[in-house]
Amino acid sequence: MSFPALLLYGIFFVYPLLKGIGMSLTDWDGMGTANFVGLSNFAKFFQDSRAMGDIRTTLIFAAGSAVFLNLVGLGYALLMEHSFRGRSIARVIIYLPAIISPLIMGYIWYFLLQPGRGFLYHAAEQLGTTFFLGKWMNNYPTTMAVLIFVNVWQYAGMTMIIYLAGLKNISPDILEAAIVDGAGSWQRFTRVTLPLLMPAIRINVVTNIIGSLSVFDVIMSLTEGGPGYATESLSIYIMRMCYGSRTGYSTAVAMILFFIILIPVLISLYLTKEKSDA
Amino acid sequence: MMRQENKAFRTFRVMIVVLICLLCIIPFYILLVLSLNSPSRIYYEGNIFIPSFDWSNYAAAWEKSRIGLAMINSGVITFGTLGLTIVLGGMAGYAIARHNTTYNKLVFSLLIGCMMIPGIINTVPLYTLMRRIEAVNKLWGMILVCSALAMPSAVFIYTTFVRALPKELDEAAEVDGCTGFHAFWRIIFPILKPATASFVILNGFGVWNNYAQAVFFLQSREKQNIPQALSVFFQQFGGAKWHLMAATAVIAIIPVVIIFLVFQRQFIEGLTEGAVKG
Repeated sequence: MSFPALLLYGIFFVYPLLKGIGMSLTDWDGMGTANFVGLSNFAKFFQDSRAMGDIRTTLIFAAGSAVFLNLVGLGYALLMEHSFRGRSIARVIIYLPAIISPLIMGYIWYFLLQPGRGFLYHAAEQLGTTFFLGKWMNNYPTTMAVLIFVNVWQYAGMTMIIYLAGLKNISPDILEAAIVDGAGSWQRFTRVTLPLLMPAIRINVVTNIIGSLSVFDVIMSLTEGGPGYATESLSIYIMRMCYGSRTGYSTAVAMILFFIILIPVLISLYLTKEKSDA
Repeated sequence: MMRQENKAFRTFRVMIVVLICLLCIIPFYILLVLSLNSPSRIYYEGNIFIPSFDWSNYAAAWEKSRIGLAMINSGVITFGTLGLTIVLGGMAGYAIARHNTTYNKLVFSLLIGCMMIPGIINTVPLYTLMRRIEAVNKLWGMILVCSALAMPSAVFIYTTFVRALPKELDEAAEVDGCTGFHAFWRIIFPILKPATASFVILNGFGVWNNYAQAVFFLQSREKQNIPQALSVFFQQFGGAKWHLMAATAVIAIIPVVIIFLVFQRQFIEGLTEGAVKG
């Protein structure tokens, strides 16, 4: 009875995946005949300064997102761990942004942050200063910071829920035993809580890495990859190359992105596994 | 003394949680304000947090953006994808959990192994396949693509769930004269409800919000889903007419927010349980 599922998955996922390997070795434009060009698409990619910029943007976005999503999500979870009045409402509110399309979320922040026109720009102007809001798009670090901020703002609730589930699984007896043994609160956190949270850390880190390395929506709506191609991600580059009739080349880029995702995922799986066994 | 410190700390914590909630809510409030400003209002004069309550924006946005049609399309795609994946994934999960054959083991490892590959990696070769079978700009085509992407998650959830069910259930079904698919559909499937619920929770919004695949497979205006319709509508104005853009965004997120608020309890619990098992 598993055959229908396998058939659907085989045709619409595995087959194109394998087909892509072959296509990445051709100069196919999506219409005419495809000529075998060996690895020249891969060579072209690494010589293209726009592509190298996209790798940098993708990696910075992913590293920033993964680090801050986990720190902020864990921070939220520790704040929300013990019950207080209104906790369940707060949990719903903090999770709310995560259910909305990241494309729409990007547009909402575009309305807020657009230099010289955004709502927050004008609000700040009324207070007599515009902070960095007038020119964040002019320089790369602030543009990246804004993109990472919006992503973290949207998905911190999701990492929080998973950390809350992890914290709930830690038996209070273990923490009490640590108190009896004379452990301070910082020691309890680093020596007891964190190691026991490892499964939750693992899920969060891996999903955040996969999600942010393949980022597409939020950049499309917030900067469209601009100014120029400065904040273009590899996913957007693949889409644009495909539309630019460089079909073979775009599949080669997808293969490269595959390894860019695979390597950090395997590393983080390995690192979190070691510690949970210890 | 100790008690008082605790109380102060608790107040402090509640204050921080309130601030975080405000941070999550305010962008939505500002979106509402923008959507209710009349086009002639000189932006940001007077109290910028109070809109001019021009409700006609909504009628104009509804008409011009064709968001209603996009909602129907998104609805068809979401229900079709979830329905197809639940039936095929449920059958596969049941078979894999009950019959520990080499074939089933292979199917399971293939699906789980590919689970971490984001759709963008094979989208370009998939696009050429979809063009060949004339599935581009068809809702059924998008349903098949989204179903393939959601299949690993469905199979994983159902397999884990069925493994925890007692085998006597299958035997009871056989005694009643039900075999194979019949037994599955009449006896097992209804018991799988909790697994179905967590699958829908984990995947429903993602299908509804899909943009990275919609860009490729739903280009015609008749078949656009919500994110695709919004991005086309927004690009059309090139950043002008914020009142219409904001009103469209509000209309677009209303269904998601309502569904989330109605089912928030099941939702948060489902996510929490999913995290513990995953």
